[in-house]
Amino acid sequence: MSASAASAITLLALAACTPGHDAAAPAAGGAPAAAQVLRRAVDAGGMRSIDPSISTDVPAAHVLDDLFEGLTRLGQDGEPAPGVAERWETSADGRVWTFHLRAARWSNGAAVQAGDFVYAWRRTVDPRTASDYAEALAPVRNALAIAEGRMDVTALGISAPDERTVRIELTAPTPFLLSLLTKSYAYPQYEPALRAHGDDWVRPEFMVNNGAFRLLEYVIGGRVTLVKNDDYWDAAHVRLQRVVYLPLDRAAQTERFFAGDLDFTESFSAEQTAWLRSRLGAQVVSAPYLGNFVLGVNVTRPPFAGNRALRMALTLAVDRETLVRYVRQGLYQPAWTPTPPLPGYRSPVPAWAALPEAARHALARRYYARAGYNAQHPLHVELRYPTDSDNRRTYEAVAAMWRTNLGVVAEPYNEEFRVQLNERHLKQLALFHYAWIGDYPDPLTFLQLFQTGFGYNDGGYSNPRYDALLAAAGSEADATRRLAELSQAEAILNEDVACIPLYYYATRHLIRSYVRGWTSNIQDRNLSQYMYLLRSQAH
Amino acid sequence: MLRFLLQRLLTAIPTLLVIATLAFVLLHLAPGGPFDSDKVLVPQIQHAIESRYHLDEPLWRQYLRYLGELARGDFGPSFQYRNTSVNELIAQGLPVDAAIGSAALLLALLLGGATGLVAATRPGSWRDQLPMGLAVLGISIPVFVTAPLLILVFAMRLHWLPSGDWVAGSWRHLLLPALALALPYTAYIARIVRAAAIEALGQPYIRTARAKGLPTHVIVLRHALRPTLMPLVSFLGPALAGVLTGSIVVEQVFGLPGIGRLFVTGALNRDYTVVTGVTVLYGALIIGFNLLVDLCYAWLDPRVRART
Repeated sequence: MSASAASAITLLALAACTPGHDAAAPAAGGAPAAAQVLRRAVDAGGMRSIDPSISTDVPAAHVLDDLFEGLTRLGQDGEPAPGVAERWETSADGRVWTFHLRAARWSNGAAVQAGDFVYAWRRTVDPRTASDYAEALAPVRNALAIAEGRMDVTALGISAPDERTVRIELTAPTPFLLSLLTKSYAYPQYEPALRAHGDDWVRPEFMVNNGAFRLLEYVIGGRVTLVKNDDYWDAAHVRLQRVVYLPLDRAAQTERFFAGDLDFTESFSAEQTAWLRSRLGAQVVSAPYLGNFVLGVNVTRPPFAGNRALRMALTLAVDRETLVRYVRQGLYQPAWTPTPPLPGYRSPVPAWAALPEAARHALARRYYARAGYNAQHPLHVELRYPTDSDNRRTYEAVAAMWRTNLGVVAEPYNEEFRVQLNERHLKQLALFHYAWIGDYPDPLTFLQLFQTGFGYNDGGYSNPRYDALLAAAGSEADATRRLAELSQAEAILNEDVACIPLYYYATRHLIRSYVRGWTSNIQDRNLSQYMYLLRSQAH
Repeated sequence: MLRFLLQRLLTAIPTLLVIATLAFVLLHLAPGGPFDSDKVLVPQIQHAIESRYHLDEPLWRQYLRYLGELARGDFGPSFQYRNTSVNELIAQGLPVDAAIGSAALLLALLLGGATGLVAATRPGSWRDQLPMGLAVLGISIPVFVTAPLLILVFAMRLHWLPSGDWVAGSWRHLLLPALALALPYTAYIARIVRAAAIEALGQPYIRTARAKGLPTHVIVLRHALRPTLMPLVSFLGPALAGVLTGSIVVEQVFGLPGIGRLFVTGALNRDYTVVTGVTVLYGALIIGFNLLVDLCYAWLDPRVRART
């Protein structure tokens, strides 16, 4: 049986179901519930490791957000806020940061010291640790050279002048550093626990952590239970006593929510949006998410190599508003450029985006003809995407738009994610699924994908002007000028049609009305330490 | 008997070797590797990861290493769950499957057996036709339909039972998954028992028993039950295997941390050691169950015992 078959059945089953007595009920009263136990779902298939140096998946990142805290933590508003560091200062050139630590403690009562950060960061970039995220610390001086085995870990640009001071040296000004410091690979680690237990230090009986919760139970591929950590420096403001994480696929999350067994889901199927809203009202929550849904174009091989006109025709012929409204249930925002909207960043939306539909289609047909194609000699192209019902709907719609507006014969073709990844890296595909979730809220996380030689540049795009602008932005200390340079670079991408952006992702949660303290944020990280339950809860 | 047992155990070894080899080869033939990701790794890190799992060695050496570890009962480290061995994963997941599987089979035997026997005592009556009609329905509807329907009724509508999750030792968490898994087997067992019991009840020694004036329930339970069990026992071997592999679906729907789920995510993530480990384990269990069935045969039927 496939998961999609089960989802279809669930959908039918849910359609036959009226909401449970508590499902759509508004929160009664404002008093906190006596039992502060939050039951959260995370998407199944993740949670492969909860070692902060090793973990890369989103489900584990949620758990780690509750277990550990870096120099900064994600504030309730989704912005970086003081964490273990209570204050910090930067050098004039933005390359040296000094953090002053508060009197924070580990879950065993020991003091969190500056050396714990130095130890953890060195462990992450050490090639022997074999961390997928070693490169994420690339802005730190010598991090890459160490990861490549060219330098000793002691050369890493982090030091502890005293027990309560962390000094970080960067290779270039990094305006998003405070955001990076909230991530798992920047947490401190308690060296004695690692020395005593080796890889087993992440087990509940051995783990020493410094976040708002402690690890009580960890079933691999199953339930993870956390309890409040009374040694946490801000424990006075943590109201939840217990958090239970359950890895579930999307359909099961919705089912459990209706059954009253979940308070907070990680996602729901986009196709159910209208139906869920009609039954659950304001408990269906969606907000912009730091991710794009982009169609990758391989510019190194026919038919797209050296054929900007063809790429232009295809991007012009996609009706993004229609796609978003009818295929993605109005959840997402149409995209004309790879970077999602970010505060302070001017998105270089191409002028053609404002054209009326008929004029845009006419322009698309002119480009199509200029590219050497017509009704007698149409473009035949395969459109590869990883198996997923949401992806299928989108690509079927895009193919239909191309067929109607241009006469292109496009065949959507799904395949297993790893197979597609492999073919993409080998640059065997002409058109491919190229969605990306940003690592930090900055345009660079999206724009570096198109840098010459960047490992993930699967479309093979290369433009010296683009690379030069990215390099200039990389050494720019002035944040406003830097963003302007990145915007100029992105305009070049659009001009060259390096990819075909379709829409920006949105977060999708079902959240009980009695759950308080969460806020939607672009990184979709909701720390349990801010949440609490009102008295109306059912369980 | 001992010779028979030893003979069967010895033939199991080459069978397992073939299973292990096929699993190893097929998995390595699948495109994409366990550490392919949309993140780009520094080549040295990539190399460190590969050498940690011996993926940088030639395939034949990996194969020999794998067989060597297998011979020692070690399935190796999981690729997707870092710092965790496949043995640990199986030790964690197997009790879940064993609990659901045995509960499902017990339910199926009790419900199916009773229904079949009742139906056989009055062939053609409503007591025969109604349960047999339901049995056809039970056989036809796959688990991935019944499981969500059970959740819909008992968890979402009635709020009697939890919609999933696993709490060791909690019958409330066990009941729905076991029931979902048991339904098709209940139906099969009911049909098998009915057919065998009708045949047994037509035998001359039953007529003798009736002539002696014994009541029906004594005739059925004392004289007809044992021959009725023979076809049921031959069904139980594949049924045990089916309950194990069928639990993959049930685990997925109910979100249970069994080895079936592990197997599915392992295959998608190219977790070579998990997939080969679980495959070999499934193979060994199926061989073991079939052997048990043969032993049961010998116990139930003196003619089989004489041959072995």
